[in-house]
Amino acid sequence: MKTVKASGIGQAINRIEGRLKVTGMAKYASEFPVENVVYAQGVTSTIAKGKIKSIDTTEAKNQKGVIEVITHKNAEKLSGFDEERPAFTLTTKAPVFQDTQIHYFGQYVACVVAETFEQAQYACKLIKVEYEEATPEISLDNHRNKAYTPDEQADYSRGNMDAGMNEADITVEETYTTAIEHQQPMELHAAIVSWENDKVKMYASQQILDQAKTSISDTFSIPKDNVQIIASYLGGGFGSKLRIHRHITMATMASKMIGRPVQITVTRQQMFTNTGMRQFNEQKMRLGAKKDGTLTALAHHTLSHTATNLQYYEACGNVSKMLYNTPNNEVTHRLIPLNIQCPNSMRAPGEATGSFALESAMDEMAWKLKMDPIEFRIKNDTQVDLGADKPFSSRLLKECLRIGADKFGWEKRKMQPGANQNGNWLIGYGVSAASRRAPYRKTSAKVIVELKGGKVFATVQMDATDIGTGTYTILAQTASEYLGIPVENITVEIGDSTFPVTPGSGGSWGAASYSNGVRVACQNLFKELNQKAGNSNSAEASIDALLKANKLDKYEVVGTAEPSEEFKKHSVFSFGANFTEVWVDKDTGIYRIHRMVNVGSAGKIINPKTSYSQIIGGLTMGAGMVIAEQTQVEPNYGNFITRSLADYHVPVNLDMANIDVVFLPEEDKIANEMGVKGIGELGITSVAASITNAIFNATGKRMRHLPVTPEKLITAEVEPGV
Amino acid sequence: MRPFTYINAESKQQALQAAASKKNGKYLGGGTNLIDLMKEDVERPEHLIEIADLDYKSIKKNNKGGLSVGAMLSNSETANHALVRQNYPLLSMAMLSAATAQIRNMATNGGNLLQRTRCPYFYETSMPCNKRQPGSGCGAKKGINTLHAIFGYSDKCVAVHPSDMCVALAALNAEVEVAKPDGNTRTIAFEDFHRLPGNQPEKDNTLLDGELITTIHLPESVYAKHYYYLKIRERSSYAFALVSVAAGLQIENDTISSVGLAMGGVAHKPWKLTKAEEFLKGKQPTEANFEKAAKIAMADAKPLSENEYKVLMGEKAIVRALNQAYNREA
Repeated sequence: MKTVKASGIGQAINRIEGRLKVTGMAKYASEFPVENVVYAQGVTSTIAKGKIKSIDTTEAKNQKGVIEVITHKNAEKLSGFDEERPAFTLTTKAPVFQDTQIHYFGQYVACVVAETFEQAQYACKLIKVEYEEATPEISLDNHRNKAYTPDEQADYSRGNMDAGMNEADITVEETYTTAIEHQQPMELHAAIVSWENDKVKMYASQQILDQAKTSISDTFSIPKDNVQIIASYLGGGFGSKLRIHRHITMATMASKMIGRPVQITVTRQQMFTNTGMRQFNEQKMRLGAKKDGTLTALAHHTLSHTATNLQYYEACGNVSKMLYNTPNNEVTHRLIPLNIQCPNSMRAPGEATGSFALESAMDEMAWKLKMDPIEFRIKNDTQVDLGADKPFSSRLLKECLRIGADKFGWEKRKMQPGANQNGNWLIGYGVSAASRRAPYRKTSAKVIVELKGGKVFATVQMDATDIGTGTYTILAQTASEYLGIPVENITVEIGDSTFPVTPGSGGSWGAASYSNGVRVACQNLFKELNQKAGNSNSAEASIDALLKANKLDKYEVVGTAEPSEEFKKHSVFSFGANFTEVWVDKDTGIYRIHRMVNVGSAGKIINPKTSYSQIIGGLTMGAGMVIAEQTQVEPNYGNFITRSLADYHVPVNLDMANIDVVFLPEEDKIANEMGVKGIGELGITSVAASITNAIFNATGKRMRHLPVTPEKLITAEVEPGV
Repeated sequence: MRPFTYINAESKQQALQAAASKKNGKYLGGGTNLIDLMKEDVERPEHLIEIADLDYKSIKKNNKGGLSVGAMLSNSETANHALVRQNYPLLSMAMLSAATAQIRNMATNGGNLLQRTRCPYFYETSMPCNKRQPGSGCGAKKGINTLHAIFGYSDKCVAVHPSDMCVALAALNAEVEVAKPDGNTRTIAFEDFHRLPGNQPEKDNTLLDGELITTIHLPESVYAKHYYYLKIRERSSYAFALVSVAAGLQIENDTISSVGLAMGGVAHKPWKLTKAEEFLKGKQPTEANFEKAAKIAMADAKPLSENEYKVLMGEKAIVRALNQAYNREA
């Protein structure tokens, strides 16, 4: 029954929505034509800690076109936080203007609603806020005594760490730091919100619609089903759009107050202080190994910061629980509340940063052991996730390392730093291992098939989102595969919360969950149509024939996929290896990433083309962690001095190398029936370490503090013993 | 943005008159800096006088054997012009290292000279900055000053001038011709065009009220063979220099007969390395002499709390730029 079409699973077809995007026809949140719409703009605090003494909105209110100015004085009383510093989850409420407290620089203190965007922006400048200022707590160093354990998952241990260190012939004890980073997707956070009779409909740039609905309905104390969110296209999210941020609350409150639809756009500068970031992490690593390279102990202690009113942390240490065969293992996470906005998820939270520390420390150990860093990793490979005490459903890390080494030409690497020189350039090779959990979550999808002009057409509906990753395309390919009709005959409708519920896009669960949801819906379709026609389940009839047999023009069905018992008994991960060649100028602090090879084992690849894009995007973002991405906190005022894309330096094309991406063929039916695993976060994981390890191989300098700017590189000392 | 009036000047006279008659007016060239600063609420002009269409868009050989470059010509057109590429490749190289292709297409030469600092304290209106708001203090001096000056700063301001083009113009000993409000012209030596902050950091340059830059004059070309612009920055494009060096050498009989040397990213103005130039003149172009020149150039550096690295980087950059300039032909 199912002839595999050329456009089915595994084909590198172009994005089905590509034409809409390049012609500007794809509508993003702020672009929908909504009648009678008005414009809201937020005003942000210019102190990092204290209280609002007074707000004078008179002049702003008197401006032409200004409809309303909302502050804590006239804001609707919302359901607030129930505890002092609640965890910032995917459904956390987002109250705004509920009191006079200032928790961080750039916090919203007022919102202007006007007939035009320009009127709103100008009026914002006329609002005068007086503060009762307090000394902000913004330095990790000055408040180390306030470090606390955020939750029960923060600490972990197995074996005996001290015994493991005593048993070791060689030890590594080093501290690594990663900078505050910002997601800053191209598309600004934006929404158009219409409140009518306690029902709210919004076009909003959000990654997970169902959870966003919960967050909004809880904030405004309305039934969840009164909320509809439409997010047809997103211009990136990188985690910043997983949660509801306060601009959504402002626009919703404004629409409710004035009875008109309200458009809000968070400016690029406001996105530095109001839509999340990756936190600064200080990671202390302790490793012990026998002379033969057997790891005896591994500890990973992370100190970071959270907001004074909200708690989030990325679990940097989780990777150290599972990646290597270490009998003695200790992982802790501590947080210090600071007057800096609450961090949130940024691509591969925990893995991107944790793998930098772990894979740097592994490289340091390999150097001390005088062992090849690939052999050292393979020596400590494991097929069991010791952290979870479960077998891996599949783990091809060794293969990723070996095949990558071959492809990269690793055998040409010289162990001694500085041994490979070309003119003014010192050339270095670096490697790192990558792992990222491959989650799979309950997902529903509706499939509608229709006979038109003798052909079968299908429509897929689900509340999934495409954050630029290729969701539209892989869902069409999945439906094509399971319905046995060409991709051209399939319409994918996603990004509407009235469609069947999915886990949304985030955490690398999208592709696996979405595709299996579509698969089950398609399979249900055959099952139901076969039953109706009185056929046995195994009957091999086409959709076309089944519709005709049932005398139907149209039929629709919903299917739900969810993890199996086997899934729960295993640790399901994607694995990978990164190889980087860097050229470091011997004098000036300048360096260039020359080429990269990334090998991944990430299950069934639905579309090699969009997958390749995902990985090079991940590698670029990983390179950004090293090259220049950092948001600096002003030590006296507590604001970010990095406040636009002109000074928050993401890599440019010239910074990036020739990149080879290889996916190993992998059948992992435990992961899910289709064997699909996420790759959105695998690509960024451990990239940073492969670059800094290459810098060490080139120069003998250990760069333990990201980013590695020219100023740091030129002033760094060569490691003792090199 | 705050409200402002706008006229598109059709002649130099009209532009000068408009500037003279309007208080708090600004000339608008490509707008790549001014419009940004208006959006940031840093610049708050009440009148914009667009001058981008005025007829100062040519590149011509002048009667002193040099080249005269129109102030309203775009950076792209200038950097890619055959006469500039052939005779002043140092200028071309510096200009093409700046910003992005899109910005260079919009930005004018006159505007490039008037770029304002990228100091974050200048940009964030809630922080003190004497340049933006005289008397409010200098936030950078006791704050984050990694990107700031090591030469010629004052208690009032430690900001640096951001231009690449101007560093090359300083090395090339260019001159700036301006139209005065009365319609007459005057010519300013490039070294005198930008100023040090002193007690008036709000003034970036020595232009008087209402004056309009019309032409940049380049002296006879002597560095067309041996030149290099080295820019050290955090990423390969669209980033300002941490340190940059423009180096031009004229070599005759294995002796340096003329040298132009200037640095960017180190002072409130393009920093002409006069002492190093004097040292190198008449010497042989050897690595040892380049190293001595670099030491001489950096001897007066006074780093701030967070930019000590610029002294080392500056020294290495001077040696490298001179080497690259010399070896280009050798």
